[in-house]
Formats: sequence, structure tokens, C-alpha cells
Amino acid sequence: MKQTHGQARLPIEDQDFVDGVIARYQERPGRLLSILEALQEHHPRKFLPIEVLDYVAAKAGIPTAQIYSVATFYALFNLQPQGENTICICRGTACHTRGSRNLLERLKLELGLRAGEEEGGADKISVTTPDGKFTLRTVACFGQCALAPVVEVNHSILGHVNEQALQREIEALEGRRK
Amino acid sequence: MPYRTNVLVCAGTGCVSGNSFGVAQTLENEIRKLGLDQEVQVIRTGCQGFCAEGPIVIVQPDGIFYCGVQQKDAVYIAQEHLLKGRPVRKLLYSPPAEKKPIPALKDIPFFAKQRLVVLRNRGAIDPERIDDYIAVDGYAALVKALTEMTPEQILGEIKKSGLRGRGGGGFPTGIKWETCRKAAVSRAVDPVVVCNADEGDPGAFMDRSIIESDPHSVVEGMIIGARAIGAKEGFVYIRHEYPIARERLKKALDQAREYGLLGENIFGTMMNFDIEIVQGAGAFVCGESTALMASLEGKVGEPRAKYIHTVEYGYKNRPTNLNNVETWANVPLIINRGAEWFTSMGSGDVSENPWGGSSGTKVFSLVGKVKNTGLIEVPMGIPLREIVFDIGGGIPEGRSFKAVQTGGPSGGCLPESALDMPVDFDSLTEAGSMMGSGGMIVMDDQTCMVDVARYFIAFLTEESCGKCVPCREGLRSSLDALNRITQGTGKPDDIGLLREIGEVMQDCCLCALGTSAANPVLSTIQYFKDEYEAHINKGVCPAGVCTALIEYQIDPEKCDGCHACVHGCSTNAIIGNVKQVHFIDKEKCIKCGACVEACKRNGILKVPRSHAA
Ligand SMILES: Cc1cc2nc3c(=O)[nH]c(=O)nc-3n(C[C@H](O)[C@H](O)[C@H](O)COP(=O)(O)O)c2cc1C
Ligand code: FES
Ligand code: FES
Repeated sequence: MKQTHGQARLPIEDQDFVDGVIARYQERPGRLLSILEALQEHHPRKFLPIEVLDYVAAKAGIPTAQIYSVATFYALFNLQPQGENTICICRGTACHTRGSRNLLERLKLELGLRAGEEEGGADKISVTTPDGKFTLRTVACFGQCALAPVVEVNHSILGHVNEQALQREIEALEGRRK
Repeated sequence: MPYRTNVLVCAGTGCVSGNSFGVAQTLENEIRKLGLDQEVQVIRTGCQGFCAEGPIVIVQPDGIFYCGVQQKDAVYIAQEHLLKGRPVRKLLYSPPAEKKPIPALKDIPFFAKQRLVVLRNRGAIDPERIDDYIAVDGYAALVKALTEMTPEQILGEIKKSGLRGRGGGGFPTGIKWETCRKAAVSRAVDPVVVCNADEGDPGAFMDRSIIESDPHSVVEGMIIGARAIGAKEGFVYIRHEYPIARERLKKALDQAREYGLLGENIFGTMMNFDIEIVQGAGAFVCGESTALMASLEGKVGEPRAKYIHTVEYGYKNRPTNLNNVETWANVPLIINRGAEWFTSMGSGDVSENPWGGSSGTKVFSLVGKVKNTGLIEVPMGIPLREIVFDIGGGIPEGRSFKAVQTGGPSGGCLPESALDMPVDFDSLTEAGSMMGSGGMIVMDDQTCMVDVARYFIAFLTEESCGKCVPCREGLRSSLDALNRITQGTGKPDDIGLLREIGEVMQDCCLCALGTSAANPVLSTIQYFKDEYEAHINKGVCPAGVCTALIEYQIDPEKCDGCHACVHGCSTNAIIGNVKQVHFIDKEKCIKCGACVEACKRNGILKVPRSHAA
């Protein structure tokens, strides 16, 4: 419970970095969002470990509960480590009408993530394969709707994607690893 | 301009993803090699709106339009067109299903019916160069507003123009500005102006495109607004999915500062004003005004009740004037060309009060099952049919039109009978949908309307902030009912239940996300009730979309045992020896449809579940 507990767990060099970020965004609008974003971007696995949140709370004088609520409210923030490769499938309306659900289902199968059994729940997902190689997530829209269906693979946008094209991408990424 | 020819290469996000930067680079190299670099220049423009045909290159002054240009094609364009003056035929645009190409942009049906006002500079200037903007009368309105007009006169002009907010609500901009100014004066607190570039509606990209193609028009609008309202501080709240737009906006702000258009003593007047960019973090509800203010303050984006207006108590309890990107981009034009010019476009009559009609133009993103997908701008009041069939070119693949969805996730679906309706704020609302920010998603006969309603409700269930009960629980229960229906276990009174929940949400939710969330359900029940009934009473999905209600079968007449489907199937559900008729193991089949694509003989059929029993 004690914040000093969190502080003790964060290595000194990380503490310095966090201190710098907090100082940089002091007094700026939306500073907590900017701070968390910078910290997540800095982390090699693109996520916010709980000890970092604890440390920010203690250092910036923001209640841990508030930080946690912000970190869980916004889709941008991850509390779990992300995979080496991120594949993000658009589930926006334009992409939906052009078949993005099939792409998603297909990819889940391909990567051995739970096959559509939770069908019926909300469609938003963010899951990482157990080997940490791939993270599969969905986004509400990339604003590239004219290219629907759209998939983003490691931050580059692919338009007019079909199952074959997606499969080739995955194979290429798997090949690169070997 | 000293150049004989300008080659405009689209550098909007869509074309960039098709490597338009590579195309521009190759063009420049070739032009230099051919010794044309004193005569021909390459300009990287913002989004041209026809992203589906990208990467796009336009050669001016002739207006020759090339689409789908790859790097290797750039060499041809340079050698053939730029050097020898012969347009490259194979890169010209041909309408779908037609062979004869149309060389000039102005003759292409997609562009011909559009009326570019907000997007007047799209694809014509380099959005990263302030001088380009100034060369086409940019910042002239600002000069006028600062040196010739009082804040009251600016307010008067905007009010007279009848400009209504382009972000969803359609609230008259002039009245909003005036209220904000009054609140600031009477409370003696500095007001703030904010630009809403959160653009959370899935299927819409108007604001991204405006910022990418003409960021200075938004900046200029905001400075004029700040002058009218008396603000010293401005923010642009932009979603993080738009990196190119954000970078361009940042450059625009830096350049404006350098030219003394932002900062202290603008144009040597007493006015001080600056704009800062704040990035969103992926929450749809943060587009809502009160949630956006909370997010600007670094908090969770939960809306609050509306009886306290943000124009009076907004960001940090200061009077805050929030407008959408497109609204801001309209402002310089109104100041430059006058309210009368603006009201000459549109429908209804705004001379008595701005609620009387819809003046000006509207930008839409036309997407989904339509031949020409892209970004369009049309005068308010244009019939829906002209948008879908003339500009959009109708429905592809010989399918027929079923519905068009407008207004974002909480808009509604309009059927064929609504096609002759004028597109403006009030007509759309009357028909059970809304203008929203300008997403227009066309659906064909292979779209299941119950699935569409389910899709939107699932989206809103995720995005509901969970603060108020009717929204949180109403959405959850609606989703349960829609899941039942799409899975074939719907109950006869589910339609009544959905209606009832919808009406309660309309009356009781805290913010507009909730009060409008039932629109997709209510409008599909209104216009497509037979589809609901088919699902519930017969267990049939007429469009063949809901996977629980269909199955795949191999047509024994057509199957020649080529095994292609076996390789295409990821669950090993297809059984059969080579050269013998195959069949599908229903236990294993997940109905992904991959086999249909794999089969070269159209031998795999999608049939209603009941038929096969
Ligand atoms: C759930 C929800 C989401 C919204 N999202 C946006 C948005 O992404 N962009 C936008 O400009 N307005 C959005 N709005 C509308 C804003 O609340 C607000 O009305 C608008 O930004 C005001 O600007 P305008 O008067 O220029 O339209 C949203 C409203 C709601 C209820
Ligand atoms: S709906 Fe997929 S990019 Fe917009
Ligand atoms: S990005 Fe090039 S036309 Fe839209």
C-alpha cells in the first residue's frame, strides 16, 4: 500500500527518467495523459508497469487511484507488456462493412488466440500471444476508411487487406524472427 | 509562378501508405535527370479525397489525373508526360466497369458534383508551406478581422451566416461565441477556445483530411474566433491515431508563430493569442464537450450533466468555446466573402434565425459499399441520391442499395425510400438519423441490418464511460438482446424490449452518447423490422451474414476434388480425397468463408442453417 514501496522497486535510472518526464509536463494541460504516454512510449515493451504508476503517484502528488483510473480508461494505455509485433485491425464501420470481422477471426485462429468463442461480447480486444511475439488489437477507426478494410502492422497502414495478404504479412514477420 | 508545370503528389495518409513519398522522390529525380527542374516542380499536397484510388498524382495546369501511381510509373510520367507532353494512358482514371479513361480531374464524376469551400485548397497547395496558403488569400480574413472589424462585427457576421457546428450537434456557432464572450466579460475570467479534432466516429475522416490538406485554414479560423471571443489561449485536442495530421498542424503553428500570426501583439495589434496541441488517448466519449474538457485537464473523460454549460464553465472552469475542425475552417471564408455569400449555399432560411436551415457546405466521408469511396464536399440540401449514385457511382459488384448510415455510431440507417431527401441538419434528424460529423456509410443487400445495429451497440457498450446507469445498463441489455437475435435465440418480445430500453435511454442518459445510442437500433427497427422478424421467428438471416444462422455446403455438381478449399481451411473442416467430391464437417467449421474464396469453381455455397438440417 505504501507508495515508498513502489518507489523502492523502481531502478534509479528509471526514476530519473520519470522525474524528467514529470518535470517536462508540469503545468501543461492534460499533463497526466502526456506523462503516461511518454512513459509508455519509453518502455521497450510499450506498457506501464504498476511500479511506474506507483512512482508517478508519489512523485507527482496525484492519487494512485486517479492514475489507475486514467490508465485503464483510455485505450492507448497498456498495463500488460506488448508483443514484439503489433497487429491492429480496424473495427470501424467502413471496415466492418467490408469484412474486417473475418480478418479478425482469422487472425485469432492463425495466432492461436481464443477462437471466436466470446462472440457476442464487445468486439474490442488487445491480446498478446503467450510467446510474446504478437499483440493483436482492434481500433475504432484509423481515418483511412476509403481503404477499408485497414490493418496496421507495426505502425504501417495497409489498405484493402484480404485474408491472403494478412497471412503473407504474418509469415513475413515470423520469417524475420527466425 | 515561374514553373511551367506543377506536379501535385498526394501526401495524405492514405496515399502515403501506398508509398506516395517514394513516387514524389522518383519524380523529382527523373525531372532533374531530364533537365526539367527549372520548368517543373513537384508539390506534396494534402489528401485529394479520392484515397481509394491512391496514390494520386495530378499534373497542372491541365488537371490530368493519375491514380494508383507506383514508383516505377513515376518514371513514365516524367519521360512521357512531362518531357513529351503525352499523358500516360494506363495510369489515367477509368470509372469502374468502363474502359474509356477520363484524363481531366474536372470531368471525373466523383469530383464533378462537389462544391469545394472548406476543401478549396485541398491538393492545390503544399500544406506544409505557409506561403502557399498566403498566396491563395490565406490569412487575408485574419487581417480584415483584426484591423477592420470589431469583435462585435465578427460575431454579427458569423451569426448572420447561419453557420452551425459541423461536429455533430449543429449548434449555431455565432450564438455559442457570443455566449462565451458574454460569460467571460461578466465573470471577468479569460476564456479559452478549443478545436475538437478527436474525430472518434468510426468510418469518418473529414477532420483528418482537412488538417492534412489545409491546416492553416483551421488555425486562421481559431485566431479569428479568439479575437471575437477575447481568448488568449487555444487548444487543439487531436486523437493519437492521426500522426501525419498532428505533425502538419504542429508545423503550421510554428510557421504562424514565426510570421507573427500567433503569439504577442499579432499584426502589431494588442491581441495576444497562442494555440497548443493536446493529444487524446483513444476514448470515443472524449469527443463529447464536457468529457473533452475533463480529458484536457488530464482526468478520466467522463461527461457531466449539461445544465452547467461549458461556454460558461468549461476547461478549468473558464468559459470555453469548443468547435469542430470543419466549423473553424469555415470561419475565414465567411469573414472574407461575407455572410451573404455563405447563405447563398444550402437549404432552408437562416435570415431570421440560424435554426431555420443549414447554410454552406458539408464535408462527408463516403465509404462502405459504394464504388467511389472518399472524401467529398457538397452544398447542404443536396439529395442523398446524388451523393450515393452520382458522386459515389452507386453500388459495386452489381449489388443493390440497402441503406446508408449517417451520423456516426449513434446515427441511424436510412433506407432506399429516404434517398430523395435533402441532406441537411433537420431533414436527417426528422428521418431518425442525424448529420453527425459527416460519416456516410453505404450498405448493400449483403449487409444484415440487425448485425449492423449489434455492431454499433457493441461499439457504444465499449465506449460508454459507465458513469450513468441508463447508458451503462441500457446498452448492456440491448447488446444481450441483439446477440440473442443474431444467434438465432431471439424472443418474440425482444423487439419491444429494445424499443423500450431505447426510449428510456433517450430520456434519461447524462450525455449525448447515451441519449442517441439507441438510434441505430430504433432506426433499423423502424425501417427494417422484417429482418428482425426473420431472425427471431424463422431463424433466418436474410442477408446471410449472421454466422450462427448460416452454413457452408459444397455443391457436389461443381466440386472436382481439386483440394484448394482444403488448403484454404484453417480448421481442417473439409474432408475428401483428391478428385473426389469433398464435404464440410459442420462440427469443425467456424464459417469463416475462407473456402469460398479458395474455390475457383464457385462450388461452395452459403445457405440458411435450416435448409441443410
Ligand atoms: C459521444 C460524443 C462524441 C463526439 N465526438 C465528437 C468528435 O469526435 N468531434 C467533434 O467535433 N465533435 C464531437 N462531438 C460533438 C461535441 O460534443 C461538440 O458538440 C462539438 O465539438 C462542438 O463543435 P461544433 O459546434 O463546431 O460542432 C461528440 C459528441 C458526443 C456526444
Ligand atoms: S473504419 Fe476502418 S479506417 Fe475508418
Ligand atoms: S490520401 Fe491521397 S487522396 Fe486521400
